[in-house]
Amino acid sequence: MSAASVIPEPKSMTRAKKWSDEVEEAYRFQVAGYKGEAEYTALKGLEVERWPDSGYIKKLTRKDGNFYYYNKDRECPDKDVHQIKIYSYN
Amino acid sequence: MTDKAKENNKSLTADAFSVKSRLKNSVVTPPPAAGAFKANPLVKQTSFRKFYNRGDLPIALEHDTKGNKIAWKVEIEKLDYHHYLPMFFDGLRETKHPYGFFARQGVHDMLEHGGNKITSVIPQLIIPIKKALELREAKVLCTTLKVLQHLVVSADLVGEALVPYYRQILPVLNIFISMNCNLGDGIDYGQQRRENVGTLIQETLEAFETYGGQDAFINIKYMVPTYESCRLN
Repeated sequence: MSAASVIPEPKSMTRAKKWSDEVEEAYRFQVAGYKGEAEYTALKGLEVERWPDSGYIKKLTRKDGNFYYYNKDRECPDKDVHQIKIYSYN
Repeated sequence: MTDKAKENNKSLTADAFSVKSRLKNSVVTPPPAAGAFKANPLVKQTSFRKFYNRGDLPIALEHDTKGNKIAWKVEIEKLDYHHYLPMFFDGLRETKHPYGFFARQGVHDMLEHGGNKITSVIPQLIIPIKKALELREAKVLCTTLKVLQHLVVSADLVGEALVPYYRQILPVLNIFISMNCNLGDGIDYGQQRRENVGTLIQETLEAFETYGGQDAFINIKYMVPTYESCRLN
């Protein structure tokens, strides 16, 4: 079974209206080129590294093998919030 | 008036303390500006630029990304901090794109994720920091001050490890500490963009004092006499 077939397909997508922890999470994945945690873990087979205090994502491996590092605090600027896609899998 | 008298009235410019200056009709020129605030633009190519152009840095060179992020080819945790951190600090002098951006972001990522590895590299960072401050360019000063603020909080004991190097870092801060104009009811847009040098210096010194341990204040006061403690009193 190839890795591609395991990647879960989202059922629906909505755009974020307001910043929240969930939006921040999606932003960090989407900057690195993933839809969300489900796709990342399916493709990379890695646990997501997180900051101990805030729980935000610390480090992601991109599809090309390079690494992205994220800050302890909020990164998603207000101007980009409406571009973030929130996928639901149910 | 006779011709002779007219000739005597002709004024003569002369440098101060010269023999000419003692003549009756000489006008002594004012002393030249000391140039304490004068910016010294970057003339020589920085080693960061050389390494960047040569592709020696472990970062993916992308010119198309919209974001403010750099992609690392190697995990930061595995990098040799003694080699790379001084190299990125050297790039703080750069204002030209993309060198300035990569240096700033590289330093930011390395400080954010370096942990205890940073403390032992401090002695090697002083010369690049000093060189950056010595340029006396507002843009470079702002970047360096923000980096210094990040540096002192990046790991335990970094603030204290910096105390012996105040003599190298603080003279330029002492020159610019009063660079905080009173505009009356005017708006200084640099304030909201965090580009006001005077305010940044005050913040940096307060961070130094807060994280520098018990000897920090007296050492800061020695180099910057107008600084008042944010913790005592």
